[in-house]
Amino acid sequence: MNKNGSIVYVIDDDFYVRESIEDLLRSVGHEVRSYGSVEAFLGDHRIDLPTCLVLDVRLPDTSGLEFQRLQESIGIRFPIVFITGHGDIPMSVAAMKAGAIEFLTKPFRDQDLLDAVHAGIALDRRRRADEEALTELRARYTSLTPREQETMALVVTGMLNKQIAAGLGLSEMTVKVHRAQVMRKMNAPSLADLVRIADSLNAATGKA
Amino acid sequence: MIEAQGQHPFLLSTASPNRSQRRLAVGIVAALMAAMLLSAPFARLSLPGTEILIPAYAAAALLVELLTSALLFALFSIDRSRAILILATGYLLSGLLAIPWALSFPGVFTTLGLEPNLQITAVIAAARRLGFALSVLAFALMKDEKDWDRPRKASGHAIVGWIALVATLTSVLTLALALRAENLPAFMLNTREVAPLWHVVPAASVGIYLTSLAVLWTRLRSTLDLWLMVVLGTLLIEILLISYLGGATRLSVGWWAGRLFGLASASVVLLVLLSETTALHAQLVRSIRSERLARESRLTAMEALSASIAHEINQPLASMVTNASAGLRWLDNDVPRVGEARSALERVVRDGHRARNVVNGIRNLFRTDTRERVPIDLNRLIEGVLLRTEEETRLRRVSIRTHLEGALPVTVNPMQMEQVILNLIANAVDALSSVTDRPRIIKVRSRSGEGEVLVTVEDNGLGIASDLRHRIFDPFFSTKPEGMGMGLMFSRSIIEDHGGRLWVADNIPHGAVFHLTLPCNAVSDIRR
Repeated sequence: MNKNGSIVYVIDDDFYVRESIEDLLRSVGHEVRSYGSVEAFLGDHRIDLPTCLVLDVRLPDTSGLEFQRLQESIGIRFPIVFITGHGDIPMSVAAMKAGAIEFLTKPFRDQDLLDAVHAGIALDRRRRADEEALTELRARYTSLTPREQETMALVVTGMLNKQIAAGLGLSEMTVKVHRAQVMRKMNAPSLADLVRIADSLNAATGKA
Repeated sequence: MIEAQGQHPFLLSTASPNRSQRRLAVGIVAALMAAMLLSAPFARLSLPGTEILIPAYAAAALLVELLTSALLFALFSIDRSRAILILATGYLLSGLLAIPWALSFPGVFTTLGLEPNLQITAVIAAARRLGFALSVLAFALMKDEKDWDRPRKASGHAIVGWIALVATLTSVLTLALALRAENLPAFMLNTREVAPLWHVVPAASVGIYLTSLAVLWTRLRSTLDLWLMVVLGTLLIEILLISYLGGATRLSVGWWAGRLFGLASASVVLLVLLSETTALHAQLVRSIRSERLARESRLTAMEALSASIAHEINQPLASMVTNASAGLRWLDNDVPRVGEARSALERVVRDGHRARNVVNGIRNLFRTDTRERVPIDLNRLIEGVLLRTEEETRLRRVSIRTHLEGALPVTVNPMQMEQVILNLIANAVDALSSVTDRPRIIKVRSRSGEGEVLVTVEDNGLGIASDLRHRIFDPFFSTKPEGMGMGLMFSRSIIEDHGGRLWVADNIPHGAVFHLTLPCNAVSDIRR
């Protein structure tokens, strides 16, 4: 079982619990870093790999739930597995609603923690792949000339070359050349593919 | 003096009078005595034409006595003492008889065409005075009979019944007197002067008053008793002024003074009774509220305590279970990692001990045999505790320096004292966890002197904010996210239970110092 290419961060203020979780994760081949507080975690440099966070709810200074709320504002979007000494239902509902992978009450079954951590890492891996694909698409898009970008915007609305030529004040022949360039540079085998690419670019821009 | 044993310790009839009440009572009687002596030289001076004031006096007397009786009836409905019922009836009778007394007073209501027989007023006065005196005597003699079996409704019926009876009696008496006036005993010579026969009435009244006073004096156990004694004293002064100093002449200075003093003191007594009823009621409300609060906070306290205990135990359990799982997984590897598995198992053992310590600590908090004390050397105990915390402090990179002076003989409960020292050390270690810019140091010192031993535990952490300093000994107050908020509270109560003190001060330049004193052995050998 080789889990290389991923990292698990454990944040728990109880030294013994932290140590035991770290050892459990290491025993199944995870790479683990552990910290006593959110501040210590943020102060350390992070490793650029698919990540899962194992987070205690009650922590000194910044609590686990608080960290979950504010992590997006500091540019972190790691999947979180919560562990707590005494979980109450409202607390776990709040955590799950905010996107936690799992909410485990101490003492928990080892398999539950490992499953949750696996799920977290898988999620993060997928997110990273999506982000990479999007970055690549953006790079392709920026490699288009302004004219080509204008042409692409009109092509994906379903306009014919004749209409595009009229709209942009070009000859139909020039539009055809631009169109072929767009299809090639955006790596789109068909018009349908190009429409999908434009959609995901728009969605990403809209979200940002 | 016997303490009030009634089931309502807040009632006038059961609460014992306090010092200020006694002082006020004595003051009122003394003031009336002084007023009596002051008016004595003029007592026989006649004031003709003052009949006109009679209705006002009667109205005032009626009002005061009716109010007092209402108050007493209300008291009876709670207290259910027959004595109170009799007393209330006496007041009611006296109040109601003031009406025919004033109506029949010679020369008062002449404009209404009332020209009653000369003797009627005197007979009513006699009935009023003796009736009330007898009711007080009855009250004094039968005080302790309580009718707890009587349902509340029945006491309401009794009140209505007695009121009806007294009202009927008053009307019948008045009517009978008006109709059979010619057969009345000759109490009066004329409208002013009394006949020799009248002297029986004040003499009998004084006799009854003195007897009642004596009875009340010997048992004086309730506030009501006290104020009744004031009433009796006032009545004695009144009768002295009217019948003896004033020469038993109506409308003389003595006669009027007696009536006015009596009225004034009856009003004061009524006011005092009212205010005390209100005060006692307020006290009752307060105590009910505080009891309710105590019960609620006890409930939340239990809830918080059980949550804390669950957390304290879950923590080592969690690491135990996780360590054991990790050990199994190390062994399940394609190439079993025995070394890793062994260290995981060692951690399981350590966690087990940790859990036991938690359980022991909680048990010690609730132990009942905590009074069992033995003479020990406090320094040995401190060393033992430090040995047990060695691993923890090493892990947290805290160094402990000790200055333990000689042997410190104390007589303590070793379990509890270990708990206290352990708690102080653990707090100091926690206080140092956020210190990164300087070495983490805890100094434990001890010395003896002036019949007591002093132990200080100081850390160079962040210290305690001055606004929190008075709260850290409160139950469930903690500055730590995982804190139970019980440690310092229990520590202080344990130390105080041993006759010592526990307090905190600032450490210079960083941190806090906890001071703990205990009586030295020579002193603590003397058991309380």
